[in-house]
Amino acid sequence: MTAWDLLSDYTLHTVAMGAAILGVISGVLGSFAVLRQQSLMGDALSHAALPGVCLGFLVAGTRDLGWILGGALFTGGLAALTVLALTRLSRLKTDAAIGIALSVFFAVGVVLLTVIQRMGGASQAGLETFLFGQAAAILRSDLVLMGGVTGVALTVVLALWKEFKLVTFDPEFARTLGLPVTLLEVALTVMVALAVVVGLQMVGVVLMAAMVIAPAAAARQWVSRLEHMVVLAALIGMASGIVGAVISALGAGLATGPLIVLAASAAVLVSILFAPGRGVVWEAAGRVRERRRLRGRQVLATMLSLAREHGDPDYPAEQGMLDAYHRLGTHGVLERLEARGQVRRARHMPGEGRHWVLTPEGRREAERTLAEIGPGGR
Amino acid sequence: MNERTATGPQGPVHEPGLALHVEDLTVSYQGRPALWDIDLDVPPGVMAAIVGPNGAGKSTLIKSVLELVPRTAGHVYLFGQPYRTVRRRVAYVPQRSAVDWDFPTTALDVVMMGRYGHLGWLRRPGAGERRRAMAALEEVGIAELAGRQISQLSGGQQQRVFVARALVQEADLYFLDEPMAGVDATTERAIVRLLEDLRARGKTLVVVHHDLQTVRRYFDWIVILNVRVIAQGPVERAYTPENLRRAYGGQISLIEGFGARATDGVSGE
Amino acid sequence: MALIRLIGTLAAGAALAFALPAGAAEKPRVLATVGMLADVAANVGGDCVAVTAMMGPGTDPHLYQASAGDVRTLFAADAILYVGHNLEGQLGEVFASVAERKPTRAVAEAAIPTGELILPESADYADPHVWMDARLWARTAEVVAGELAALVPGCADAIRARADAYAAELEALDDWVRASVASIPDRQRVLVTAHDAFAYYGRAYGIEVAGIQGISTESEAGIADIRATVDLVVAREVPAVFIESTISPRTVNAVIEAANQRGHEVALGPELYSDAMGEAGTAAGTYIGMIHANTMAIVSALGGRPLPLPGELVAWAERWQVPTGG
Repeated sequence: MTAWDLLSDYTLHTVAMGAAILGVISGVLGSFAVLRQQSLMGDALSHAALPGVCLGFLVAGTRDLGWILGGALFTGGLAALTVLALTRLSRLKTDAAIGIALSVFFAVGVVLLTVIQRMGGASQAGLETFLFGQAAAILRSDLVLMGGVTGVALTVVLALWKEFKLVTFDPEFARTLGLPVTLLEVALTVMVALAVVVGLQMVGVVLMAAMVIAPAAAARQWVSRLEHMVVLAALIGMASGIVGAVISALGAGLATGPLIVLAASAAVLVSILFAPGRGVVWEAAGRVRERRRLRGRQVLATMLSLAREHGDPDYPAEQGMLDAYHRLGTHGVLERLEARGQVRRARHMPGEGRHWVLTPEGRREAERTLAEIGPGGR
Repeated sequence: MNERTATGPQGPVHEPGLALHVEDLTVSYQGRPALWDIDLDVPPGVMAAIVGPNGAGKSTLIKSVLELVPRTAGHVYLFGQPYRTVRRRVAYVPQRSAVDWDFPTTALDVVMMGRYGHLGWLRRPGAGERRRAMAALEEVGIAELAGRQISQLSGGQQQRVFVARALVQEADLYFLDEPMAGVDATTERAIVRLLEDLRARGKTLVVVHHDLQTVRRYFDWIVILNVRVIAQGPVERAYTPENLRRAYGGQISLIEGFGARATDGVSGE
Repeated sequence: MALIRLIGTLAAGAALAFALPAGAAEKPRVLATVGMLADVAANVGGDCVAVTAMMGPGTDPHLYQASAGDVRTLFAADAILYVGHNLEGQLGEVFASVAERKPTRAVAEAAIPTGELILPESADYADPHVWMDARLWARTAEVVAGELAALVPGCADAIRARADAYAAELEALDDWVRASVASIPDRQRVLVTAHDAFAYYGRAYGIEVAGIQGISTESEAGIADIRATVDLVVAREVPAVFIESTISPRTVNAVIEAANQRGHEVALGPELYSDAMGEAGTAAGTYIGMIHANTMAIVSALGGRPLPLPGELVAWAERWQVPTGG
């Protein structure tokens, strides 16, 4: 099997396209969910889809995709309403309300699954594939549905872009402008539910939350405009989908849905570590750079002070003495300073350790430092 | 009930001569009153301060006028009309803590959001909105920060962005919630100058103010609040030590000539 | 006086009412897990026992988890029969605890030594679908007979006689299947199904089997699995692929769509019974019917010609109104 065979394979194309569509809608709507601090709502909506899948099957009597997905949307909406009711009518905060709704609905779903299992009747086959998805079994007809739903969601987001942006940033101010804030928030939640429905067959209810959160979280690290974030999240989602699909095509028995989620999670990890300006590694590297510069300046300043004390601008400072002043090994620092042309080695009493002299460049830097810190004891 | 009721094109008009007319306003959360039986009149063209101890209901008052918080009882009229009818003429500057400043957007973008009400659905902000927003940023003195991420702004700069956002609404009545809390002296001066400018143009300003020391210097109208209205009126008449003491309980230590200075940790210094 | 007679009659009636259920409870209750096993027990035990199956048609035994109600039913039974060799994967602990109180038997484990099991390369346990090989499955009749005879010693002779007769039927079935499968042209003699349930069928009857998903229905088919199946179907020009009653048909549909796109028309064959039999009260609701239906479907769809039924099975065919093809 050549790489070309793999990449031109029909099944891989179908799955990759489905994964890409899923990535786009997850990235776009996930951006709003993450910024509204409602990431867990995506989790609740996806877990709550399970009883809807079962109910859809029970009502339709067969594995009719329309009923099943409609049921998922229905129970997802119910869960969202439950969260709303719990926060408004009781003292519970949002995170507790989401946790409760998630667990209760999912538990009902599992019970319904076992009830259906017991009912026998051949056509109940395989409802539990909605737990983790069965991405490899996506058909072209499924793509039509997924693409249509995604298209609708994207159109709505585009049309109501500024309203969604404002409602996410400052809902109170939005209300004073006369915007129907509650309606807009409901619309956003409904569209997250739609994203969940799109993803049900691919990654399943348990993992869908990751698809809602990960691309948006990854994108947030790199950009600073909402417009860019949404686009980048869609791209990251799409890429994760395709990468996950391709990797799962490489070996037998590699489940596609979870691999897509792993790819998206890897994107988050890389972003958190390496994004310029915000990344952990970036900031750590920055700190190391800062500390080195500071040490360099300290050593230069010390050398200049010594030179002034001895009245000799080319006073050769002995390395051991510098070590003692700074209470640490200055060898590495001095080598870096030498590489920058700010000190040079002195041929002076070679038998008694290394000696270093300031270059004119180094002297200027040291004078700058001393000027900044002002007079003081030394 | 009130003789100064007339009928205008959109229904009964109450106190059209007042920028803000509040009758019997009561707001309670879970059985506890935040505002009780508030009767309030603010004439147009003044710069009014609302002061009171913590928990006095100052923010709640503004929010209930703007219908951000439900009223348990009472009526509110702005320029003689209910709020919804005159929404376009009212601008709101919330507390800085009302938003998450880590949101991915620029200062200019936030200011342009003030024009969304005028744009209506489906229209995108264009060159006209940009221009207005830049002008507002200039007025508050941070035009050079237009493209800056809002998370990288200082507290004072963030406050100015909020004020600029209100400016582009081109309103007649401005509500500001603690606009000078926690900002540097330069920003405070800039904001006060801006508000005075607005007043000179005939606008009305209602400001929840945290610093009793500066009330006399900045404002010409005062509302002293502690769940009820303790006193209201022109500053010279209503801003007195006795009124303050009634509002703050025994927590005031008087400094002669400077008005009063609260010792319950309320006023900045 | 009349009052005393009334009370006496009532008391006698009550005593009788209590006695009757006790009499009706005479037949020992035998609980089997899957229908295939229950069918053997019913055929062997006849009127001497009351047999019920815990898992109905269309239930996947790999994934089945016992509910509280099931546990109660298990403990209420007088004997429990299960297949073993890891078929009822989620029920191991339950059986262990029941075995301490009631006679419990892993029938296939007793009847078929591990040496004769098929060990797939990818799984670390043996393929449990032993009922697909009728001759192999016939051996369970003896084990079941032993259990039932111990349970109802009075019936022991009748039980053993029925067991021998049933085993003979199954062996005739076995011959018939082998001959019928042989009629499929060599090239196309490939059985493609959703999961690897037919390995024993393939080994016994000389047909190559390919399951898209692997042994257990718990795993998810990946793209590579589907591609491999499509390659096979296209290369051997397989006329039909089959869905199973207990598995989601989506993977099979995906294979069909991909194969069609590559220019090879492959049809969807009739539904096969793999982990469970058909509806009770139909021919496919019996073990013989299950194997018969499967074979008829496979042989016809793949271009072969099934043989007429042998004499030993005519009685069965008449009882279930199945054409003998003779």
